[in-house]
Amino acid sequence: MAVDTTKNAVPFEMAQIPGPEMAKAYNTAVIGAILKKAKRPLLVVGAELFEDPVMFDKAIEIGKTGVPIAATAHTIKGFIERGYTENVHMIGLHPLTSYLRFKDWQGLDGKGQYDVVIFTGIFYKFASAMFSTLKNFNRDIKRVSIDRYYHVNADMTFGNLAFNPDQYHEAVDEVIAKLKA
Amino acid sequence: MEKMEGSFAVEDMQNVQINIGAIVKEVEEWDQPMGPFPYPSIATLRDWDFKIMQRYKIMYSPICDRCTLCTYGPCDLTGDKRGACGIDQAAQQGRIVLIACLMGATAHCAHGRHLYHWCLEKFGDLPINMGDEILVDAPITRTIAGIKPKTLKDFGPVLSYFEEQVSQLLACTHTGQEGNYMDFESKALHASMLDHLGMEVSDIIQMIAYDMPRGDENAPIVECGMGTLDKSKAILITYGHNLAASSEAMFYTEDNNLWDKVDIGGVCCTAHDNTRIGEGLGYPKEISEKYKDIGTKAKVAGAIGWWRKMVRGDVMDCVMVDEQCVWTDALAECSKLKVPIIATSEKIMLGLPDRTNDPVEEIVDDLVSFRMPGVAVLDPAKAGEVGVRTAIAVKPRRSEIREADPFLSEEDFKKYAESCTYCHSCQFVCPPHIKIGDVVRAAAEGNYEPLSTTYEVCVGCRRCEQACPQDIPILSLYAFANRDYIRNQKFKMRAGRGPVKDTEIRRVGAPIVLGTIPGIIALVGCGNYPNGTKEAYDMAKEFVDRGFIVAASGCMAMDMSLYTDEEGKTIWEQYPGAVDGRNICNMGSCVANAHISGATIKIATIFAGRNERANFDDMADYTLSKIGACGVAWGAYSQKAASIATGCNRMGIPVVVQPHSVMYRRSYVGRTDKKEDWEIIDARDGSKVYCEPAPEHMLYIAETKEEAMLMMAKLCFRPSDNSQGRMIKLTHYCDISMKYFGCMPPDWHVYVRHASDLPLKWKEDMMKELEAKHGWEIDWKRKAIVSGPIRKMDVSFDPTNIERKIRVKK
Ligand code: SF4
Ligand code: SF4
Ligand code: SF4
Repeated sequence: MAVDTTKNAVPFEMAQIPGPEMAKAYNTAVIGAILKKAKRPLLVVGAELFEDPVMFDKAIEIGKTGVPIAATAHTIKGFIERGYTENVHMIGLHPLTSYLRFKDWQGLDGKGQYDVVIFTGIFYKFASAMFSTLKNFNRDIKRVSIDRYYHVNADMTFGNLAFNPDQYHEAVDEVIAKLKA
Repeated sequence: MEKMEGSFAVEDMQNVQINIGAIVKEVEEWDQPMGPFPYPSIATLRDWDFKIMQRYKIMYSPICDRCTLCTYGPCDLTGDKRGACGIDQAAQQGRIVLIACLMGATAHCAHGRHLYHWCLEKFGDLPINMGDEILVDAPITRTIAGIKPKTLKDFGPVLSYFEEQVSQLLACTHTGQEGNYMDFESKALHASMLDHLGMEVSDIIQMIAYDMPRGDENAPIVECGMGTLDKSKAILITYGHNLAASSEAMFYTEDNNLWDKVDIGGVCCTAHDNTRIGEGLGYPKEISEKYKDIGTKAKVAGAIGWWRKMVRGDVMDCVMVDEQCVWTDALAECSKLKVPIIATSEKIMLGLPDRTNDPVEEIVDDLVSFRMPGVAVLDPAKAGEVGVRTAIAVKPRRSEIREADPFLSEEDFKKYAESCTYCHSCQFVCPPHIKIGDVVRAAAEGNYEPLSTTYEVCVGCRRCEQACPQDIPILSLYAFANRDYIRNQKFKMRAGRGPVKDTEIRRVGAPIVLGTIPGIIALVGCGNYPNGTKEAYDMAKEFVDRGFIVAASGCMAMDMSLYTDEEGKTIWEQYPGAVDGRNICNMGSCVANAHISGATIKIATIFAGRNERANFDDMADYTLSKIGACGVAWGAYSQKAASIATGCNRMGIPVVVQPHSVMYRRSYVGRTDKKEDWEIIDARDGSKVYCEPAPEHMLYIAETKEEAMLMMAKLCFRPSDNSQGRMIKLTHYCDISMKYFGCMPPDWHVYVRHASDLPLKWKEDMMKELEAKHGWEIDWKRKAIVSGPIRKMDVSFDPTNIERKIRVKK
């Protein structure tokens, strides 16, 4: 049975209530389908991956389907250690988000702006604020979170799974399976 | 406005006539012509601000998408919606940023204003004497106001100018005033420049009046940490930022020979300032004769993040609060533990009765008998006496009333830990994301280790306790498990040294501008670290070891004191305290941050011979183009930190902040894909040169310490670096990347202009990569770069962003 990722759709930091427009929690099939359909997706990973190293492997699996990876903070190290740097780019989340808000930015590979960004493993408050920048200043990009938190400023997110790592990993696997299908 | 010295009432600082009187008088005594912008008004430096914002794009991250400021609201501003008044999301965010910067700036300026009145009352007017080695005193005042203050009274018009400007700026935030985000930002930059002025005025007043060190690299080493407070004595804690009442407590203790009965420990910046008193040049006499080195008798109890841990750790008998950064539940927390509290500032009265005019005996009696949990006493001298006498008298009464052991009993500890239902409500609210449920569960199983290892990560916010449905006093569990640590938290800190000496500038000016000292790193600010206090020490150590000039201040200076090397030495004992490479200086409290931005002005004047007088944009332009300085506020929490950082930005100093700093909502980020943004004027002939992005960003948010350190190194690049300097900077940038990221930074090549810029240890490989990956043309015989760099190395390139600096137009 698929993990129910639509439960617990409350901000991981309780007081993060931005306003009338708040994210919807979706199941893994829908999120997987959105990623699969994306023309220029970008997976953005943060330093919390070091606390849950299996997520590096899952990010690499996603990378191998052709989705480029922005390795923020010092996460590039985790990819180098695993011998996967194929389509991994080292860049801070802050400048990356800044570039994402400009429609004329040509992307990390110079081939054009992205249409879907997928965040995971990023310090909650930081990720939330960066989603907010995009939500308010570049609405052309779809904001997807596959992190273990309900991300209020995303378009699509899981509900909170922070206290259930097994279910969370399973949910990510389901998204990957959908992406590969 | 008040009277300007010797002449006439000033109605309006914009009035040119009035300034002329002051100018003529000044010129006679200060041999520097008046610059273009004395006492700049809101729009005076707008051109400079727009230049900064053109290069460093304003980036907003709204925390709230709504506006609720007037009766038309709430308005939804998400995306491209506008409020009923017409404001859009960007302008609304700019408005909030301006309000935050005004909060910060006024906190410092009001602090200075209070000290101004108090010190004139206590000491009379005093000459501003900074000693023989500081002739360029008050560099920020000179640059902004165009005056050279000679006595404390000269700060009167400066403070009045500040007050007028903030009233104009605050007016701009009313509905239906400013509506453009860039103009809001320009105003925020103005407010924050004023903040640095306010800080400088505040710190000079207290340095002069209380005989604090004036640029003393050998300022005394003082005691720091909760364990240094002697429990055999009464412990008086003085908490906040304004030493007026706290110093009186110290003087009263000295006058009455009470140091064997009371220990005085400071929390937050009052701690810094207590420990600076009487350590200066020996004047004013009133301090040097009676209270020489009295500062060394006070202790630094701890930084802001430790306050609630101190309360739970039972290290206090009485508390005096003054102003700024005082947690507003101090009265509630203290009264639970029968710790009397004395409010000493009109800014923070906590609902307490004002007893300023009552006899000391009566006030002390009311506090010691617990008839009142606290009082307000607004006369600093009286408050100081009440504080000391209450602490001494209440100590035995407190132990009578409270149980013998201040901490939870083992039994209660177990009972609480076992009552945890592992619901994780606490973790939902914990800022540094401590897995509190796991920590408490481990404690219930008898494993206290997680409570110990996360103690320094906890910022003491108490949000977890409020969220816990089981009412578990989580901070008290921490205190119990760490009781030995609390008793043994005994470290050393160098007292705040005050400003940079002219002689130091002469020594380091050239190496900084040429880059052979790879940069100035300023570690400033508060205690809201994303991952514990240890990171303050780690960052400082990394950069001192690399030969940077490291300056620290405020809570970050205190927090980095809590760690030692293998030999048991704190960072202050490991390195000397001068402004030089491989040194670490404690500048002092928050207001001493002005000496860091002031130092960049001093480099421009003393080393480069530029006129600072009423010449702000020139000073900022020099800093931006030539001085590799980077501010870091790794625990930034306050609106003051917002204005300090924004003020640095207007001065051309980039700042790196921690991830919680997204709460400030605004950052300044460069775009390296826009070549035109990096066009700089060559002042020799006005020609335009495309430069490497140096510095690349103005306000940068890093997720981790590692990312912050890489960015700190990178933000020290400047167009003026000579080849040796660039090579040294590039070496550190690449080396930090290799050390923490496991690879070279992807953009190292951007900073290469000539083969001699390349770090020796990677030179060969780098040249190969330049050829193979980036398509540069290399002459392998000469080991030279033929083509490829953004620009050629030119030793006499004189970068500027201001047209009037062009010497001969082409
Ligand atoms: S100030 Fe403007 S945006 Fe704010 S509530 Fe009033 S009308 Fe709405
Ligand atoms: S008091 Fe400490 S443990 Fe509790 S929420 Fe705050 S930081 Fe976390
Ligand atoms: S909120 Fe209280 S009961 Fe729940 S996990 Fe945290 S400490 Fe335990």
